[in-house]
Amino acid sequence: MTKLLPCLFWLAIGLVLAFIVLPIAVVLAASLSPASTVTFWPSEWTFKWYGALVTDKWISPFWLSVRVALAVAAISGVLGILAAYALVYQKIPGASAIMGAILSPLSVPQIVKGVAIVLFLSIVGLQNLLGTPALIAAHVVLALPFVTRMAATALANFDSSLDRAAQSLGATQRQRLQHIVLPMIKPGVLSGMTFAFIISFNNIPLSVFLVRPGDTTLPIAVINHLEYSLDPVMAAVNVTSMVFILMVIFLFERIGGFSAQLHGGSK
Amino acid sequence: MSTIALAAPATTRRRVFDNSGYIVLAPSCLVLTCFFALPMGVMIGMSFTSGQSLAPTLFQYQRFFTDGLSLAGLVRTAVMSLLVAISVTVLGYPVAYFLARSRSRWRAVVFALALAPELAGVVLRTYGWLIILEDRGFINDALIHLGLVASPLPLSKNLFAVVVGLTHVVLPFGILSLTTSIQGIDPSLERAAQMLGASRLSVMRHIVLPLSVPGIVSSLLIAFTMAASAYATPALLGGARFKVLATMIYEQVLFYIDWPFAAVLAIALLLMMLAISCLGLSYETCRNQRRSTGTGELV
Repeated sequence: MTKLLPCLFWLAIGLVLAFIVLPIAVVLAASLSPASTVTFWPSEWTFKWYGALVTDKWISPFWLSVRVALAVAAISGVLGILAAYALVYQKIPGASAIMGAILSPLSVPQIVKGVAIVLFLSIVGLQNLLGTPALIAAHVVLALPFVTRMAATALANFDSSLDRAAQSLGATQRQRLQHIVLPMIKPGVLSGMTFAFIISFNNIPLSVFLVRPGDTTLPIAVINHLEYSLDPVMAAVNVTSMVFILMVIFLFERIGGFSAQLHGGSK
Repeated sequence: MSTIALAAPATTRRRVFDNSGYIVLAPSCLVLTCFFALPMGVMIGMSFTSGQSLAPTLFQYQRFFTDGLSLAGLVRTAVMSLLVAISVTVLGYPVAYFLARSRSRWRAVVFALALAPELAGVVLRTYGWLIILEDRGFINDALIHLGLVASPLPLSKNLFAVVVGLTHVVLPFGILSLTTSIQGIDPSLERAAQMLGASRLSVMRHIVLPLSVPGIVSSLLIAFTMAASAYATPALLGGARFKVLATMIYEQVLFYIDWPFAAVLAIALLLMMLAISCLGLSYETCRNQRRSTGTGELV
């Protein structure tokens, strides 16, 4: 009994981890298998499905996703810094209520937000905003709570005596912002922006209502295709987009994201 | 609208440096109003119209309760989310306990394996389950090869497939919330019980499990709400045969173009989520009250 229990415990963990890894391993294997029907352990390996991706069918959704995600990261980064600045740094009256308002979209399911936006745009006659502008704006609403909260946390954690020291040494407010406040909160804001990029790039429930037919983002193109075909090209698309996301995280990390935040953000 | 949002920060840049923080907030508020508050208001208003005219009516709500399909969809969504919540919590618990207590070097590996799938995105993982579970997928292939079954088992396009897929999607969040909760339990309680002769099993049953109930509740809540609002996984793994509220909303908007009824379905989903959140909130307050009145007993 005393030996059995730890064994069962390890077995349970092993099974759960296997469950977690299984579908991802299957997709990786499928993307490298030459057969056009998906098999688990291919006897030979090929990259031909990755070659098949270089067509306009996949390239143009990919670029749309990248453009939208970059715009969302930039806009929500700027808006998040501004909001955190007003709410935490200047501590304007009613800050907590306003923070609540900024966080409120979190409590509404994305699919509900998506329907609401598409109904609203149609009712007020702004259907021509559907496509890129509506995608960017809707994803910003989605990302803003996260970015604002990360920027606000970074601002709240930073040692305000540095700022006061600069002030007493005669730094103007502009100089203080530029040389003290912004560099201090940079890691927090960058992680928020990475997060915004990923949220936007992977988004389905909002995008599904807001794309124009024939000009969709990558995840929407993938699920539209999956509804009638499971061919290995889909595996290659999915693996490529995962690798792309990992590269984006790595890039933001190099600019000074997460680990900088862990090591130096709270000084 | 987004062009305004883009331009606004630039024009207010000069004013950032004076004390009026409200101007700085204007662009955020503008985006939130135009792409969240107003749309939500319009959607709620629209649910009270018949679709022909703007006169207020409860017709759509009546339809929701009488057409049979919608209520069935609501129940299906609730059952699916409950099953996902339970399986996420049960599967996540051992991993979370290990992550909270282990000091071995495997901890980092388990942590990475448990959370990294989140980066892979929902579509990739759902696609993985599709090719595992479909009629000519791996499981059925293997079973038929081994001669265990004659015809493929119905593993996809049903409740089972959707619950498996969503459990996989939500599991990292369940593990995180359980880990945080177990980390908050003082490990000396477990050591004390063990020194006094309690077996590992009874330490687990009488100390760790009861003290981690708040974590279990929050894992159940997170998993339920994430499952109920998921769209892509039920759409792909459930298909036309297993419809939940999220996929029904999509159908109403894009196939039937019945906006008022889509609004009612969306409101039903929203209300279900709010009800679940309220349940969690009342549990929180209940616990805090008990704690503030009952501290004497604990000490």
